[in-house]
Amino acid sequence: MTVFHFLNCAFLTFGPHVVYYSATPLSEYDTIGTSIKAAAVYLGTALVKLVCLATLLKVPENDSFDPYQELMKVFIGFIDVAGLYFALTQLTHRNISQNHKFQAVGLGWAFADSVLHRLAPLWIGARGLEFTWEYIFQGLEANANLVMTLSLAALGSLMWLRKNKPRTLVPIIYACALLLATMPSITSYLRRSLEWQTPKVVGFELFSSLVMAFISWQLFSACQRPM
Amino acid sequence: MSPSGELLASISSALAVAFVFLACVELGDAAAAVSVYRLIQYDLAGAPLGSRAAVLNHHAAVLPLPAGADLSRSALVAPLLDLPLSFLREYLVEKKQLGGLLILLPTNQGDKDSADDKGQVKGVLTELEKLLVHEQVPYPVYFALDDDNFGNLLADIHKIASSGQPASATTGGYKLVVSSAEPRKVSSPTISNIQGWLPGLKGEGDSEQLPTIAIVANYDTFGAAPALSLGSDSNGSGVVALLEIARLFSRLYSNPKTRGKYNILFGLTSGGPYNYNGTSKWLRGFDQRVRESIDYAICLNSVGSWSNDLWMHVSKPPENPYIKQIFEEFSDVSKEMGVSVGIKHKKINVSNPRVAWEHEQFSRFRVTALTLSEMSTPPEFLESTGGLHDTRESTDVESVIRTVRLVSESLARHIYGLRGRNIDVFAENSSLAINPRYVRSWLDLLSRTPRVAPFLQKNDPFIAALKKELSEHTSDVHVQSDALEGMFTFYDTTKATLNVYQVASVTFDLLFLLVLGSYLIVLFCFLVISTRGVDDLINIFRRPPSRKLKGA
Repeated sequence: MTVFHFLNCAFLTFGPHVVYYSATPLSEYDTIGTSIKAAAVYLGTALVKLVCLATLLKVPENDSFDPYQELMKVFIGFIDVAGLYFALTQLTHRNISQNHKFQAVGLGWAFADSVLHRLAPLWIGARGLEFTWEYIFQGLEANANLVMTLSLAALGSLMWLRKNKPRTLVPIIYACALLLATMPSITSYLRRSLEWQTPKVVGFELFSSLVMAFISWQLFSACQRPM
Repeated sequence: MSPSGELLASISSALAVAFVFLACVELGDAAAAVSVYRLIQYDLAGAPLGSRAAVLNHHAAVLPLPAGADLSRSALVAPLLDLPLSFLREYLVEKKQLGGLLILLPTNQGDKDSADDKGQVKGVLTELEKLLVHEQVPYPVYFALDDDNFGNLLADIHKIASSGQPASATTGGYKLVVSSAEPRKVSSPTISNIQGWLPGLKGEGDSEQLPTIAIVANYDTFGAAPALSLGSDSNGSGVVALLEIARLFSRLYSNPKTRGKYNILFGLTSGGPYNYNGTSKWLRGFDQRVRESIDYAICLNSVGSWSNDLWMHVSKPPENPYIKQIFEEFSDVSKEMGVSVGIKHKKINVSNPRVAWEHEQFSRFRVTALTLSEMSTPPEFLESTGGLHDTRESTDVESVIRTVRLVSESLARHIYGLRGRNIDVFAENSSLAINPRYVRSWLDLLSRTPRVAPFLQKNDPFIAALKKELSEHTSDVHVQSDALEGMFTFYDTTKATLNVYQVASVTFDLLFLLVLGSYLIVLFCFLVISTRGVDDLINIFRRPPSRKLKGA
């Protein structure tokens, strides 16, 4: 990988976060503090997840799909939901509306996730000469992850911060939130059990993230309407 | 420990783990990491020869090349049988520039290859070696063993090359990298000679020195790639034959009743490719009385692939009484064995520094000597010295056994005066039979061991193994080490690791940057429209003029 390619991939991985912040009203309402706090909560959540993974799971001897282990991973994945709940409900905010609050939290969360999971491999790959498509796919995954996290934050905002929700939409909101929370396990299942290749998995992630974003947006708009 | 000390220790250990991790990741970075063997680099009387560079950092190119291709910044990758020697001769003689050359040697496919294929490989390798060794090559030349990795690599490079332009920084492709230090001169290269004695039986009244018969074989090699110069036939076969003869006669000489009235001197000499420089120094180191006691010397050279004809090369005329007697002894045994021994006479030109056969060094000291070889003509300088083509497949155990039988029987008849009697001293199925397993195991060992003298240390395990084996059968074994003649200068770096990287082109990255920029611009516009409306998007471009007017 050349330095040029490294900069391209870093741009692809972290650029959308910056574009989202500057394009939306977040930049006008000075929500950077909230994003930083959300990132800190993400790091703490990641540490807790790491300890749980090391304690409760055993290292697989082969690369097969173990339903019990995957179920444990799903439960450990819900720690992310707990972390998001903490970030959305417990952090103190200065006169930020709910619309901007969940966006700031989701953005900080996704940015911290990309930094933690993708910056180190990108840097290590930059030091070699070998070209591989892996880092481009990693950048695309970061984009899908950003959309997923924002969708989950939106649904979380509906579940925990909005009181007057239409009664008929509550089950749909919870079902979509559950689906978004289990998305890492779904991609793991596709990759290991169905043996999908990386381009196919990344395509599925992008497509499903757009679909979930659309559904979340519709739900959020429906809840915005006065009863 | 204080809290800050503990913190510092934990941080430093974490950093150490991180650095170790980074170092490990670096190792597994390339698409393929292959062992390669460098073309030899040496000076002969001050003239630079062989490959004069070791560092390789170029894109890969394969044959056939597009017309008018500039290879000055390309590393050519070619299997041995696909590389025309005319092409290589053109690049070498006309001093055309090449970034580098990687020659893929065929591996042993066992029974898959036919005898014709093996002969073709051997012939091409011989010609290639002759061409590369005697020329100055200004770029790095490496040899590698052809395997599946290179098959895939060559197919990919062909695909890139078929697009019409060779691989370069703008078109991507594969890049070959060998990172090695600048080759340095081998300081004080040594040659080590190993000798052992089987002392003869002295009578009670004998006050004279017993006569001595010497069996000598040269063991070191020289080839285009020092790390691949195994020399199975030249002269691994001679070394094995000598060891077996020593084993047989040690059994005879261990019993006083069967001990002969001749001393037998076994010598394993070094420096053979360089006009038998080691043999000369070995003989010069002898005591004069010992040298004068040598009745005759038998030198064994390349005796591993003959079937019916073996040649006895002499420097004295065949009419000489000593030569005639020795030749008749060999002829008698060869007739019984059903093979023929021819005699070849070659006068020594004392003013010519070229020494073609090992026995010529003995003749220069006025010792009667001969060389037994399957070659009917003397080899040229630095040829037939155990190079790339001389592998285990080209050597036959039966051929070595025939040599051992011929020399042993002739020697026994000479020592015990058995001429004319129908006695087989080393008959098969007797306690003195030749051991084929012994011959085969030593031949296998020698066929796996590169033995270019300047790269063998004085305490090399191979020399120690030869010395130990000779100690099993003979007495008074010692190693005589000397400096190689100053006419030769050798350089190190005979092996390296080749990393093959797949690299992308700058054009690809430029296109990727364009696509990425477009994507981010579209994303920006979409987000602005969806969150603020079209009017705000338009206002982004209108606001600066209004501010400017306001400021003015």
